[in-house]
Amino acid sequence: MTASSRRTMVTIGLLALWAFPLYWMVVSSLSPESRLFDAPSLLPGAPVLDHYAALFRERRFWIPVRNSLIVAGATTALAIAVGTPCAYALARLRFAGRPWLMLAILGVSIFPQIAILSPLFLALRGAGLIDTYPGLVLPYVTFAMPLAIWLMTGFFRELPREIEDAARLDGAGPLRVAIEITVPLAAPAVATTAILTFLYAWNEFLFALSFTLGPDRQTVPVAIALFRGQYQVPWGEVLAAAVVASIPVTLVVLGFQRRIVSGLTSGAVKG
Amino acid sequence: MPRWLFLIAALAAACGARPDVLTFSGSVLGAEGAIVRRQIDRFADARPDLTIEIRPTPDSADQRHLLYVQWLNAWAPDPDVLQLDVIWTAEFAAAGWIRSLEEHAVDRGDFFEVPLAANGWNGQLYAIPWFVDVGMLYWRTDLMTEAPATYDALAAVARRAREQGQVANGFVWQGAPYEGLVTVFLEHLAGFGGRVLDEDGRVAVDSPAGVRALTYMRDAIDEGIVPRAVLTWQEEPSRFAFQNGHAAFLRNWPYAAALMNDPADSAVAGRFAVAPMPRGEGGRPAAALGGAQLAINARSRQPDAAWQLIEYLTAPEQMLERAEVAGQFPARRSVYDDARLAAALAVAPADARRIIEHAVARPATPVYTQISGILQVHLHRALTHQEPPAEALARAAAAMRAILAQSGLRRGAP
Amino acid sequence: MTRSTRDARLAWLLMAPALALLVLVAAGPVAAAFRESLHASDLRMPWLGRPFVGGANYVAAAADERFRAALAHTVAFTAASVALELIFGLALALALHGLTRGRALARVVVLLPWALPTVVAALVWRFMFESPGGVVHALPGPDLDWLSHPLRAWVPIVLGDVWKTTPFVALLLLAGLQGIDPALYEAARLDGASAWRRLVHITLPLLRPALLVALVFRALDAFRVFDLVFVLTGGGPGTSTEVVSTYAFRTLMQDLRFGYGSALSVLIFAISFVVALVCVRALGSAAPDARQRSRRLRRVA
Repeated sequence: MTASSRRTMVTIGLLALWAFPLYWMVVSSLSPESRLFDAPSLLPGAPVLDHYAALFRERRFWIPVRNSLIVAGATTALAIAVGTPCAYALARLRFAGRPWLMLAILGVSIFPQIAILSPLFLALRGAGLIDTYPGLVLPYVTFAMPLAIWLMTGFFRELPREIEDAARLDGAGPLRVAIEITVPLAAPAVATTAILTFLYAWNEFLFALSFTLGPDRQTVPVAIALFRGQYQVPWGEVLAAAVVASIPVTLVVLGFQRRIVSGLTSGAVKG
Repeated sequence: MPRWLFLIAALAAACGARPDVLTFSGSVLGAEGAIVRRQIDRFADARPDLTIEIRPTPDSADQRHLLYVQWLNAWAPDPDVLQLDVIWTAEFAAAGWIRSLEEHAVDRGDFFEVPLAANGWNGQLYAIPWFVDVGMLYWRTDLMTEAPATYDALAAVARRAREQGQVANGFVWQGAPYEGLVTVFLEHLAGFGGRVLDEDGRVAVDSPAGVRALTYMRDAIDEGIVPRAVLTWQEEPSRFAFQNGHAAFLRNWPYAAALMNDPADSAVAGRFAVAPMPRGEGGRPAAALGGAQLAINARSRQPDAAWQLIEYLTAPEQMLERAEVAGQFPARRSVYDDARLAAALAVAPADARRIIEHAVARPATPVYTQISGILQVHLHRALTHQEPPAEALARAAAAMRAILAQSGLRRGAP
Repeated sequence: MTRSTRDARLAWLLMAPALALLVLVAAGPVAAAFRESLHASDLRMPWLGRPFVGGANYVAAAADERFRAALAHTVAFTAASVALELIFGLALALALHGLTRGRALARVVVLLPWALPTVVAALVWRFMFESPGGVVHALPGPDLDWLSHPLRAWVPIVLGDVWKTTPFVALLLLAGLQGIDPALYEAARLDGASAWRRLVHITLPLLRPALLVALVFRALDAFRVFDLVFVLTGGGPGTSTEVVSTYAFRTLMQDLRFGYGSALSVLIFAISFVVALVCVRALGSAAPDARQRSRRLRRVA
């Protein structure tokens, strides 16, 4: 065997190993209940859809899905709507204290969520926002906003200034330049930011666990984590739910993997 | 009226108008679920102005407790009516999570005294007893003519039965390090004249009576009257031991009676009866109190409707029906005079009533869970010879006093 | 008005909503958490009020055996996970670097674990190690109990974390690899250097900046692990897999001890801040840019 084909085998082996848990998750979610609690075999038997049916019929899993979509969607919209202008200002406009402000915003993103859990809980409780949509979207701003600002600032900085400078020389005011020239150019970056923000909000667990009380407002990660059976964890349904929870993520990764990888690594290359 | 006023009125009405949804939360396991749904439906039929929802909770009491704490601490207005375990009332009342029921007319004379008192906090009533669970002595009618009245008598009968090879074990109870052990100890403790907390709420478990009680329990295991296996048993394993004919005496809750009377599964069907736990020197027969009560969420938006539902569910008729369907002991004295109860309960109503009248409540303090945790550890250590009983109780008492002091509950109440 | 004044005015206008929100939900709560940690507050005992106790909660935390144990667990977990992630990350990066075909598929396979909700990853790994149906029982060797054993329960936790976050490290290192001039390898090969020597003497030194960046951010994140442990073992059996975040969570949301729990949370923040500072100092020479851009990667996981 040549060195290169040996290398390819190793690579394939490594990738197969990495993919195995996902394969196992899908296969098990399609296995009948009895097989799940017996000694496992690596190859699947005949697939059954019982768990998926139970998931939506008995556990009404579409409710957490709806909640996650609403919360992640609102968070993303808010973070981009409010974060983009802020990013533009940070990237393009000069003002006193800019480096400190950037450091402060960076500082916010270092906080572990657990550190602000108690005051957020007390504040939300006092405002009657526990177990509501705003009661999740607002806390989510703590990570969505810095993320959006950071990504968009980076993008705006890379944008060549010539077009804007030309427009400014022609006498256009900074706001007009921003709206008519820079923002349209930013569309692809906004898309990337939206994807990453949405993903993060969709995956979030700690706040959703702490600020929701019941199935009506629980998001997908919380709903799955709290699945209870009468005597034991209902693995069939849990895994089916896990597969369903992974679908949006998978679609995003499949559709945008090039963009995600290049966006994430272009910065690293510079280092 | 100007048109815009109509608009505002309509808007206001639309915003505020939702049908009054009353939410009930409690155990919906098996027969309990069936009967509570039936009774709530009947209530709802008579009250078209209300919509009533049942919010299911996990079967395990511990998980239900966690969920309640989460909801109530978050100031959730639902559920309006909650089914509580008897050891939660003080905790929830002290935290301000359930409403005082003092303003309502409650027929206090009809309810059993001890369950009612266990639901008080700071001199006010916070929950209405719904059904009662008590620790009982199950005894084999084919091995003796009457239930022993003292621990010494019990030991004698047990020894004889074992010697004659009639049973492998004398007396079985729950000895695993969990809440059940505390209830068993409570009965022995009261049997020897001791208390966990005295009338002033001060720790009294390390009294000589307490040491006697714990020593008796340990010695019973050492001598073999009580099998050492009980130290890992909760309710079910102990029930099986008695049910399969391997024990002369069992201490357990009422649920076991119906199961053990089923000739299909039970080797002792028709060959046992119940009695209060025996007493020791200087004490009295005692039955640890369990059971459920109904309370109103302090932030409920319809406390009046909630009270009406509780009134309905705890009415004698409903209690009788619940006994018939789920076999649970009613919390009202008057129901025991009803002839229909005999057919409903797996034990004679007179026996049940007698045992309930000997009920002893666990300390009604908000920090009961922590106190119980401490007791569980030290009781088990004493029974397994890791600590002598006197030392175990002394240590437990010290830790309990520390907790009470820390919580500003030196006198049991703030 | 000068252009710069106009700029500044516009800048603050554009930033105002974002900053207002951040102060409201981030900066404010951080200050509030610190203030809360200086008071004794138990939500179950409202009659005790909320007295100021200064540093008493912090003193209690230092003496708290359970917290110390959780801290030890967290540090050990961080060390083990990060070490494995660096090794596997390098292996994966080298593998991907050599791929000529199937790049897209490889990228998808590698990205998926990283993009999934941590809860899903935790449940999958828990399922694989569960007795008796877990797939690990199909492997040769003695049939062991994993999740109910205080030490062995760490295995699925560490493996789950490695599985989920190695892709981040791999991608970071891959970008670094792509920046290495292939001529260097050519020269070394001509000189007769083995693959191993090429790895140790060319690749690793040139990857140092990327490795350090990966180390810093993974260490930070691993220290704050919550979702994975909470869902996989809940901190059990007993408290043998408890980490600082799960202990703080329980103290706050189950025991309702908000004063003490806030102190724990502040401690977690402070310790992770110190870790960050130390690593940033160590990074020192490594490019600051890489640090900043790589934050994007880290935050989403």
